Amino acid sequence: MSLLPAPLEPTRPAFLTRVTPAARLVVGFAWLIVDVLTLDPLVPARLLVAGIVTLVLWSGLPLRRVPARLAPLGVAIVGLAGFSILLSPANGDPGLAAVAALGPVRITAPALAAGLAIGLRIVVIGLTSLLVIAPSDPTRLADSLVQQWRVPDRFAYSTLAALRVAPFMAGDWATIGAARRLRGLTGGGPLRRLREAGDRLLVMLVAAIRRAERMALAMDARGFDSGIPRSHYRPVRTGWRDWVSLAVGLGVAVAALALPR
Amino acid sequence: MSTLSSTHPADERSRPAAPIGAAENRWRTVDIVVVAVLAVAFGVVFFLWNNVWSWLSGLGPQGESIITGVWLMPAVVCPLIVRKPGAALFAELVAAVVSMALGSQWGMDTILSGVLQGGGAELVFAFGLYRSWGPLAAAIAGLGAGVGEAIHDTTVSYVAIDIPGRVIIAGVEIVSAVLIAGIGGWLLVRALRRTGALEAFPAEG
Repeated sequence: MSLLPAPLEPTRPAFLTRVTPAARLVVGFAWLIVDVLTLDPLVPARLLVAGIVTLVLWSGLPLRRVPARLAPLGVAIVGLAGFSILLSPANGDPGLAAVAALGPVRITAPALAAGLAIGLRIVVIGLTSLLVIAPSDPTRLADSLVQQWRVPDRFAYSTLAALRVAPFMAGDWATIGAARRLRGLTGGGPLRRLREAGDRLLVMLVAAIRRAERMALAMDARGFDSGIPRSHYRPVRTGWRDWVSLAVGLGVAVAALALPR
Repeated sequence: MSTLSSTHPADERSRPAAPIGAAENRWRTVDIVVVAVLAVAFGVVFFLWNNVWSWLSGLGPQGESIITGVWLMPAVVCPLIVRKPGAALFAELVAAVVSMALGSQWGMDTILSGVLQGGGAELVFAFGLYRSWGPLAAAIAGLGAGVGEAIHDTTVSYVAIDIPGRVIIAGVEIVSAVLIAGIGGWLLVRALRRTGALEAFPAEG
């Protein structure tokens, strides 16, 4: 579907592609929490180094495609870091020397450090998320959550089925647009266009709901809700790689936070 | 669509007798799949909406927070449709994961937001004992989701901004949540119901 970016997939088997998604999630969340705990730029900087090393050595992801994938972070960094520097409470402290001043606007060193920390934080979150999600596909994630975390299987596999509907929704969106154009319902000013997009979205959601209802019926016809305990077609086992990743990943998180400057 | 009526044959045959009142809280397959599909649709909308957020960066965090409500819609819309405990949390979580997997600029932090937004709305519906589904309940659920989002944003995203700035951001987010997710979500469900697409679910009222 052209609206959406192509998924970034590993091109070769690597250490992280053999680690179960549940283990990667635990480490990812540990990094995320450490990352947002402090406004010291050193902590995200350490995590960033660890993340880049992991990406290059153990992710199996095509490195050349990573920058394009992380490009949306750019605007978020400029926006969030910029306003964090501009609106920092430190700027109002008359005891601090201004690094830069423009009329009434003063920018102090602590404000700059906090802005840098926020900017680095966004990069670390983006990179960590890539390392958690990209090394395996959604099916393996669902298998892992059901078998390792005991997530209710009906919910996990229904969500997996729903993901398969996304390309059809993009198709519906295009078809509805073409039909409305044919009937002369498109065009006009910006307000009319907004209304038009809303109408189109409503029709697309109706089509999606109908599709979901048919899918649920088909799933029930195959005993999806039979109440019989489910066995697993693709067993997921917690292996030594999981324990190594957990130990190293959590160790890095603690070290990033606790190491002396 | 009578085959999709609320008493699915499989429900009655294979389940042990449930306590009174539990049957209406049990999720049928059609409930799960419709919420999951709508959540995926919203996840795609979120991903596109993330770009709108980027275009509006020039307005500053206080100004652009007015578009927040769109990210909270599944937490109101999906529970209003299926009326099951957990619908707000489930829908918002799936939508957040989809948006993240597509490459949201907020990465895994999207999941944290999703849990807080969905959890906020979920608490409101739980407070109504999963029996209040009118426009007022929807607006308050939007408020709950907005409070969850404001808690996340003022402690994670905007923590380096001074307190008055953060108070304004939280206020704008909550107003947007009530108007877009709460009232807007209720209007969307009403429009969907009028098309006849929700015949498999409890009727209005």
